[in-house]
Amino acid sequence: MSDGTESVRGADVFGGDRPTRSRAVLLVVLGAFWLWLLARWLVEWTGVPVGVPGEPFVDVALVGGPQTPLGVMVGSLPALAVGVYVTVVLTVVSIALGFVLAVPLSVARVYGAVSSYVSLSFTELIRGTPLIAQLFVLYYGLNLSQYFRGLTSFAGVTVDPALWVAVIGFTINSAAYQAEYIRAAIESVDPRQLVAARSVGLDQLDGIRYVVLPQGLRYAIPGWTNELVYLIKYSSLATFITVTELFTAANDVASETFRYTAMFTVVALFYLLLVLTATTIMSTVEDRVAIPGIGGAEGRP
Amino acid sequence: MTSATTSVVLQSSDWAYVLENADILFEGTVETIKLTVLAMVLGFLAGFPAGAAEVYGSPWIRKPVWAAGVGLRATPILVILVFLFFVAPFATSAFVAAVIGLGFRSAAYQAQMFRGALQSVDEGQMEAARSVGMTRFQAIRRVIVPQALRRSIPGFQNEFTIVLKDTSIAIILGISELLGVTEDLFLQSGRSGAALELILAASLVYFVLTVTTNRGIEYLGEVYEIPSGEST
Amino acid sequence: MSDPLLRVDDVYKSYGDEDVLKGISFEMDRGDVEVLVGPSGSGKSTLLRCVNRLTEVDSGDVYLDGECVTAPEADVNALRREVGMVFQDFNLFAHLSALENITLGLKHVRGFDDAKARERGHEHLERVGLAAQAESYPAELSGGQKQRVGIARALAMDPKLMLFDEPTSALDPELVGEVTSVMRELAEEGMTMLVVTHEMGFASEAASRMMFLDDGRLVERGPPEQLFRNPQHERTERFLERITRLHGEIE
Repeated sequence: MSDGTESVRGADVFGGDRPTRSRAVLLVVLGAFWLWLLARWLVEWTGVPVGVPGEPFVDVALVGGPQTPLGVMVGSLPALAVGVYVTVVLTVVSIALGFVLAVPLSVARVYGAVSSYVSLSFTELIRGTPLIAQLFVLYYGLNLSQYFRGLTSFAGVTVDPALWVAVIGFTINSAAYQAEYIRAAIESVDPRQLVAARSVGLDQLDGIRYVVLPQGLRYAIPGWTNELVYLIKYSSLATFITVTELFTAANDVASETFRYTAMFTVVALFYLLLVLTATTIMSTVEDRVAIPGIGGAEGRP
Repeated sequence: MTSATTSVVLQSSDWAYVLENADILFEGTVETIKLTVLAMVLGFLAGFPAGAAEVYGSPWIRKPVWAAGVGLRATPILVILVFLFFVAPFATSAFVAAVIGLGFRSAAYQAQMFRGALQSVDEGQMEAARSVGMTRFQAIRRVIVPQALRRSIPGFQNEFTIVLKDTSIAIILGISELLGVTEDLFLQSGRSGAALELILAASLVYFVLTVTTNRGIEYLGEVYEIPSGEST
Repeated sequence: MSDPLLRVDDVYKSYGDEDVLKGISFEMDRGDVEVLVGPSGSGKSTLLRCVNRLTEVDSGDVYLDGECVTAPEADVNALRREVGMVFQDFNLFAHLSALENITLGLKHVRGFDDAKARERGHEHLERVGLAAQAESYPAELSGGQKQRVGIARALAMDPKLMLFDEPTSALDPELVGEVTSVMRELAEEGMTMLVVTHEMGFASEAASRMMFLDDGRLVERGPPEQLFRNPQHERTERFLERITRLHGEIE
């Protein structure tokens, strides 16, 4: 089993091994996927004349017509591409903001006194309740979307206020999980590293920032990859608060045409490609920032 | 959906509404627990053999099992649930579709967990078992598996809470689990103001369930713990 | 004269490009105590593992009591019932008590019922001086105790041949004695033993013969006195000189 196999560490999706020779195939497939997406996005929003907005590149009539499953699938591609954009925006913004929130949360948890308990309560509450419930609290309970009525466009796309509420919800949720991963990673750094930093004259905060975090964050990469994959999949829950992301796009087409199996197969494929993109990127990142003896090489702490 | 200009303030009349419908919330909780337990059982029954197959199986078994696992782990549970519901045999019952969807998704993750646990048992244990004349199967069954199962307890705990929370996604199939009945309650006319209180109450129930099962499984772990920690 | 109990015939074993065993042949009779010595990497442990087929030979054969055990149709599990093995890292079943470590094989390989297995188990624990530790778990035992349980576990299966793979190498020095004295008793009782070890004291006192392996080849073989006092090869002499300096003089 261990003959030149490359493991995508920590990406729960793949488990242990992914054979290296399929990596080339994978990169080609992913490359094609993203090229197509970019082309579609350009067509929809910038009038680049390689196609018609709303119309697939391949004529639906050529694959059997708009009534057949294949025809429906191909015909839905432009709508799905728009959905992917929203999904990607949702995922990327939420995980980034979540990270910004998570670092102080985990530092407080590890090094704080009172702030440690506050941080712990927050993460326990968020991680102990379903993401949908959290979205419901924000959208139906607190009715946050009313505050975003004015902000109707983002990066050139007309956007529903619900999207902002979704971002807030995912950010909070992701921050709680990321804080946990980062905490575990910080704690796996030998405490003597911080002692050494203090002995050189760095204060607590600088010691954490320049010595503990650089090591800890590398340990956190596998957990972080998990979180990214999780967000990609659970972004689909935004459909419950009326966000028109990928799942909504597919569901809408499916309920109009009754081609449920076909549409959900296609959308499953889309998610698979998105997940594969994420794990491939993270695995490259992990290799690039690897420091011998820290995190990566042998088993995780 | 509602576009009411609801006050954010938690009103006592809204809490009273929550208490009035405590029985409905309770029934929803029962459904949630049923879904969770059945899905976890299915997840174990399918996931443990899958994990063992990935460690001990021939390539003919390993590759398809691994591929199925990747498919299940890369697809959002929401998609899995709706897909199952509309693929004919299960369209008869939303509950069955939910159990199967949640169950097999969990099986895919439990398989990974058991695979890791089985592989973490020291090779020397297998050698010692074989050296007294046990067959490979006997060695796996009587020496490796008992140790692997104990090591899987933290992962199992984690998986349990994930499934518990994911049952709320079965709302899409119209199942009357906790979040579903909660939504029904606040969508009733004139009651949208109680939405916040209702959802918070439901969240509290989830939280309590999560904490209880975590402690429960931890306790089980202590009961079956190998005295003074594990060597090798 | 009856057949030798163990016959190793021209055994070769490689791992990739590395040749670990290069044509080893020897015979052992019942009651022989053979000590295998040599530098690390010389193939000693590999040879031991080839005897009970934990490692498969590339070519050559191994015969136990006249039967060819390396034949493709041979029943490996039946073979291993007759050959006991004691490991450097003990390899006690971590989830079972000392007694259960012994009864596991008795119940599921020899088919004993629970009562008989427990009786036998207690007997063997007593034999190695650990009757009081029957219900203790491996994590609760010292290294020397663990190894003695390991010996009892192998003995309880009533083997014709016992293999010892550096049984004391993982032990603290003060615990080595309790294990080697058990091994010495076994040798006196007439058990056929093939032992890989650096314990020259045990070798000089208990071994009927010693084998010096170097770089995958059997360099020299003979009674301990011969190898220690009158080695036929320079390599033997140099190795034993080094080892004796490290592990103490022999009387």
